[in-house]
Amino acid sequence: MSRTAYEARGISQVYKKGKQRVRANDDISLTVGEGEILGVLGPNGAGKSTLIKQLVGQLKPTEGEVLFFGRDVLQQTRTVAEYVAYFSQEPHVLSVLRAHEALAFTGRLRGMDAREASRQAHELLARFGMADMENKFLKQLSGGQKRLVGIGTALIGNSPVLILDEPTNELDPKNRRLVWQMIQEHNRAGATVILVTHNVLEAEQVVDRVAVINHGRLLAIDSVAKLKRQVDQRLKFMITVEVGRREETETALRPWGIVQEAGENRLRVLVDKRNAGELLDFIIRHTELPIEEYAVTPPSLEDVYFHIDEASAVREAMNA
Amino acid sequence: MKTANGLAGLPDMAHTRVRDGGLRRWRTELSILFRIQFAIIRDSWVWVVLMATLLPLAMILFMNFFMENPTPETMVRILAGNLIFGVIVMGLNSMGQEISWQKHQGHFTFYASLPISKLNFVIANMLRGLMSTLPSFIILGAIGQYVLGVEIHYSWGLPVVVLLSMSSVVGAGVALGFWSPSHQLTNVLAQSLMMVVSFLSPVMVEMSSLPPFVQWISYLLPTTYAADAMRAMLLGGWNTGVLADCLIMLGFTAASVVLINRLVNWRVKA
Repeated sequence: MSRTAYEARGISQVYKKGKQRVRANDDISLTVGEGEILGVLGPNGAGKSTLIKQLVGQLKPTEGEVLFFGRDVLQQTRTVAEYVAYFSQEPHVLSVLRAHEALAFTGRLRGMDAREASRQAHELLARFGMADMENKFLKQLSGGQKRLVGIGTALIGNSPVLILDEPTNELDPKNRRLVWQMIQEHNRAGATVILVTHNVLEAEQVVDRVAVINHGRLLAIDSVAKLKRQVDQRLKFMITVEVGRREETETALRPWGIVQEAGENRLRVLVDKRNAGELLDFIIRHTELPIEEYAVTPPSLEDVYFHIDEASAVREAMNA
Repeated sequence: MKTANGLAGLPDMAHTRVRDGGLRRWRTELSILFRIQFAIIRDSWVWVVLMATLLPLAMILFMNFFMENPTPETMVRILAGNLIFGVIVMGLNSMGQEISWQKHQGHFTFYASLPISKLNFVIANMLRGLMSTLPSFIILGAIGQYVLGVEIHYSWGLPVVVLLSMSSVVGAGVALGFWSPSHQLTNVLAQSLMMVVSFLSPVMVEMSSLPPFVQWISYLLPTTYAADAMRAMLLGGWNTGVLADCLIMLGFTAASVVLINRLVNWRVKA
């Protein structure tokens, strides 16, 4: 049985914004097993990065505690830094260094010897397809290439725990695939991975469990399969409407299920399987609706996320 | 379970890291952190030198035009004052603002995520401050000597005074940057301090010409002792007064390192 790498016990973070007290996260409790990949999902401002900063010990929770292999992270910040490689969203501090320097220096600061740090730096740059850019300054590289070097600074040294905040942002599809692949390789070698991502569809292929966070609250945490079961009695309609006529279509479709905006002129409708036929019929018969295109698919993890978020909003409204 | 650093219950990292011994690890860490800081100077050294030289150089020229028949002592006072002014511009003003900017840009997050000693990070920043200040010191000394027609007394103690003058002022600048509650406030504070410390303390003028209240405050500023020691060194060389100034500057440097080490609360924000 695997050990618990991380345990968050009822952590909350309250900030003062003028006279108001804002809760960045609220009573979050979760565990992450050793060797597991946990995906943390949620919209912008949901409190994901706050949670991550609490896990690495850079932010002291207002309430609750975080344990790393049974030790309080705030009492063991140096130990956490020894074992956890953290890739944050903050701008890269090493932009004045050359690509190879940035990686090798980070490796050496993690306690690697010079030769091994340099070897791994070469290897990482080669994997990123940047072997010919080793001597280029980071500031001369493109946004995506800088991002790759940033991810490299987390991967160098094969830390037993990786915490990655939006690792695939700014990357093209090829490099996104490469990064997911490298994360999986580290995990197969025994690393525990906690990653924050917006890219639900890609994360679905990689993560073991998912924590859904919104408004600072943990709405759900479970395996992808179990979470998907919450919506497996449903079908997803992806509907494209005429530009500027999304709202009226949304109103017309609302009786059929959960309707959500999926883009400027796109809607996502989660419908009970038993009613899917009727909705299809409704769309075909009501030709006055400004629907240009529609597709029916089984729900993905992304839909689970929207379903949970919607259900939580409904609960909150009912409680209010 | 035997682990890389002997901590039971934690994953084994022996296969991933070579654990250097204490002193070796400390030295490697400091050297790498300094190389990162040095890369910042490598990236912008032209601006660093220009920034630290132009203002004091303009001041030297201005004072040279302004003074009528100054004595050699006055000329040395002007030169010594402007050398310290250069240190204030770079070590206090520029370092304070630069570190504050790094802090509020979130750059410390990277360092905080690494298993490094906070003290090493502080020392590396102070070394960068010294390296950014030194070129202007040399340039100003050379040009000032020529422009003002001053004959400088070179002695073994001069590098000691130069180093301590820079470290005591840089320490204050680095402390200001790490303390910074907001970048805007630090900008205003650094620039105000630069003017107050340069012109309302005995850097350019004699202590006796300042109001008593300002004289009292001056004793709390490292620049007072730096300017005093510099003047004495340029005029006649090492004496007990310079030794006293040096000891006080050493105290300021040590106090600033301790203070900064307490201020850099990078891992755990309350």
